[in-house]
Amino acid sequence: MAIRVGRAETVSHGTIEHAVILVENGKIITIGQDLPIDRGIPTLDRPDWTVMPGLVNAYSRYGLRGQGGAGSTPHQLASAELYPRDATFDDLLEYGYTTLGLYPPGNGIPGQAVAIRPSGDRVSDLIIRDHAYLKILLSSNAGSKKMLRDGFASVDKFDEKEAKNLEKWEKAKEKAEKKKKKSKKDDDEKDEKKEEEEKIGDYEPLVPDDKVLPFIQLRSGELSAMFAIRTASDYIHLIDAIGEEEFSWSLRVPLRDDINLYEVAERIGKLEKCVLVEPRLTLHPGTRRSRNLPNELVGAGAKLAFMPRSDSERGHKEWRLNVAELIVAGLSRDVALRAMTLEPATLLGLGERVGSLEEGKDANMVFLSGDPFEGTSQIEAVMLEGQIVFGELN
Amino acid sequence: MKLQSKTLLYLILPLLAVVSGFAPATFSASRFTLDDKDDKKDKDKDAEGEEDEDEDKDRYLAVIDGDVYAGTGAVLRGATILSKNGVIEEIGHDLWIPEEAEIVNAKGMRVYPGMIAVEANSSIVVSSGRSADEGVTDLHPVDHEIDPVKVFEALADELMETRHAVEDSYDPFGQNLLLALATGITSTVSNGAAIKLKRGEIDDLVMNEGNYAAMTWSSNNPAGKRSLRQKFEAASAYLRDYRKWERRPKSDKDEKPPSDKDIDKNVVAVLSGQKRAKFTSNEQGDLLSLARFAQEYEFRPIIEGCIEGWTVAAELGRAGATAIITPRDRRDRDENLLRESGSTIENAAILYEHGVQIAIIPSDTSMNMGGVMGRDLMHLPIEVGFAMRGGLPESAALESVTVVPARLLGISHRVGTLEVGKDCDLIVTDGDLLHYQTFVQYTVVDGSLAYDKQKEIFFAHIRPRAVEEVLDPGEEVVEDAEADTESEDSEEVEELTDESVGVEDESESESEDDSEEPTEDGR
Repeated sequence: MAIRVGRAETVSHGTIEHAVILVENGKIITIGQDLPIDRGIPTLDRPDWTVMPGLVNAYSRYGLRGQGGAGSTPHQLASAELYPRDATFDDLLEYGYTTLGLYPPGNGIPGQAVAIRPSGDRVSDLIIRDHAYLKILLSSNAGSKKMLRDGFASVDKFDEKEAKNLEKWEKAKEKAEKKKKKSKKDDDEKDEKKEEEEKIGDYEPLVPDDKVLPFIQLRSGELSAMFAIRTASDYIHLIDAIGEEEFSWSLRVPLRDDINLYEVAERIGKLEKCVLVEPRLTLHPGTRRSRNLPNELVGAGAKLAFMPRSDSERGHKEWRLNVAELIVAGLSRDVALRAMTLEPATLLGLGERVGSLEEGKDANMVFLSGDPFEGTSQIEAVMLEGQIVFGELN
Repeated sequence: MKLQSKTLLYLILPLLAVVSGFAPATFSASRFTLDDKDDKKDKDKDAEGEEDEDEDKDRYLAVIDGDVYAGTGAVLRGATILSKNGVIEEIGHDLWIPEEAEIVNAKGMRVYPGMIAVEANSSIVVSSGRSADEGVTDLHPVDHEIDPVKVFEALADELMETRHAVEDSYDPFGQNLLLALATGITSTVSNGAAIKLKRGEIDDLVMNEGNYAAMTWSSNNPAGKRSLRQKFEAASAYLRDYRKWERRPKSDKDEKPPSDKDIDKNVVAVLSGQKRAKFTSNEQGDLLSLARFAQEYEFRPIIEGCIEGWTVAAELGRAGATAIITPRDRRDRDENLLRESGSTIENAAILYEHGVQIAIIPSDTSMNMGGVMGRDLMHLPIEVGFAMRGGLPESAALESVTVVPARLLGISHRVGTLEVGKDCDLIVTDGDLLHYQTFVQYTVVDGSLAYDKQKEIFFAHIRPRAVEEVLDPGEEVVEDAEADTESEDSEEVEELTDESVGVEDESESESEDDSEEPTEDGR
């Protein structure tokens, strides 16, 4: 299928005027300006439309009803809460969301998020990537920091155990081999010994505890962490708690008024971390002076990912316009587009698969009657992996 | 914004250090060996690179041209304080200042040691509004096995615990913390530990894990008094035996040290000078008996409150007591007594005359804009002013919020005065610290600028500081000429910056009528 539109916001390669996109089997085959279209390929010609990648909300509990505790349950999966055929997801499709990250509820270390496509009849149809990220709430207190440190300490303990186990096995093997040699000398006189040899088989690595495994995966890079913090102080304590540990992580900071995150913007920027925030202007503490914190973070070098202001139907509906407010206040339009698509996709570990209009990526697209950040622009159609899930395209 | 530029500075410093030849000896030594062995070259280079990164580059800050009230009795006019890595490297005139040093221009202003609050509400260092609710219940229980052999280790662990409790909940950006810095407070107490009010950092906050041993001595609780006396008796007997055992002849190798069973460790620490015993007492009878008790066992008590201390000042002085006083505290006199009692504004002055060291603290140790406004920690210098009003000499008044609290908290080797080798915790004020009109303009903690009046929202708009002109050798001549023409009017103006002359002149004319104007003492 070929699509010809007036303008394509690719996010990864800038804006393409008079763009032609070829889609086959749910993937984007090619995208470019005024590409020739072979005869016989069904073509959709909409020169007035603008197309952008499907929206990605990496941080939601839309449609989930579970309740969480306050302890450390890093093994818990948000995917366990999924109800397929939940009609609510249709709303999100209508608003252009093609990828969602659902996180587990609770405080402390509540567990791992799941990345889904908001369409499907079975749970397995919904899930794109389980273990999307490990959510960890961190605040400025000893208990919270201890929880994180204990997580990694448990890995150390496990590694130690594992090493001992391996050593034990090697010794046993050595012994067995010696016995083997002996028994050969004895011309296989005793069958009993043979049986003993057979008992020592290949090495079986220990199976880590459910709670330890996520931290092992953090260290090995299979899993990334998302730290929910609330103040600049929390960030300092987070860095302190992480210490020498190296793993990939990002930040989630709810932007309340009077938040003092600007105090550490420079430090976050230096580490080039991704910060997930609502598109909202905040007030400088104790004043009515507004600050564009997302813009300050970007200016400092941090990556920016947006999420809707509220996890409601309305919040999702007004997302584009809320982001537009920040563009008016000085945020770069390109950064804003990226913060609604590619960056949240990367947070979910899907940066190679969705989030931009590129060859080889899933054909997730939102077709608009005009500029995405224009108040009058309507969503005309939404494509999810090559299928039109909203709107008419005939 | 200040912080951001500072962190940038940290980044740039190592480069500067290497380029301009400030690199330490090890660096050049490793380079020297490079020429000998070519095969090792690469490895060494790698190591070198790491060294450069890990190396703590020297961090300089210079407070220039201020009148330095060092707290030692010395006042150096127009002097410069150079801090290197948070420690005062040099104080004096015409110092060599490294190019990369951060400069705080204190021209026409005064420089004092940072104030120390002997007590502080936890809201100063932990942000309010954050309770433990969003925290954590799955705390692993700590084993509390009691092993008498490891008492010391346990004690050390316990101290470590306080260290962590403070450092794991400290809010380095808290509003109350900023207000404390704006007041000029650079050290205080949290969870019993003496800590530094660092901004933007949570490392190495704790200077002393706890220097007090809290005890009670009250006529309302005679049993408590008796048992405390017994504890002191037992502890001093134990110490006597222990010293005897230490001096035993070499032949008695097997002789065991005296048993410390049933001996109060705190009392032993007090008697051996490792800790200070702290009491809260206001009533003259209690104070008198406490002073005699302290003389009997030869320890120097800390007495908080001490409202009627002036009636028994001589005895308290003989006991070597230190009083933590709130000059505005009130207590009615006892009409049943013929002798004097109750509170007086002269309390601090009388106690000081008799040799009692004075530390001063307001009645509310939080930052409070509500009911007791003016009696909270934000008004620490004002509280000290009331003691001065009652006759306390200015030098003692200054000591009551600097070096005396430092001694009480066991941190006087690091803070409390401005001396070479001590921590660079200082404040720059636009006048006499104890004058009601004075504002702290800059606060420096550990050699880092932690507060700048013009850059925070609290007081920037009140008598704003004039914009500093960039110091340029070419312009300096012109500036001097301007200053000269202005100083013809009056000689006193010499001390003031040319920018602030207008404002200061107003205050001078206002204060002419006021005979108790403290600034006059200082000049």
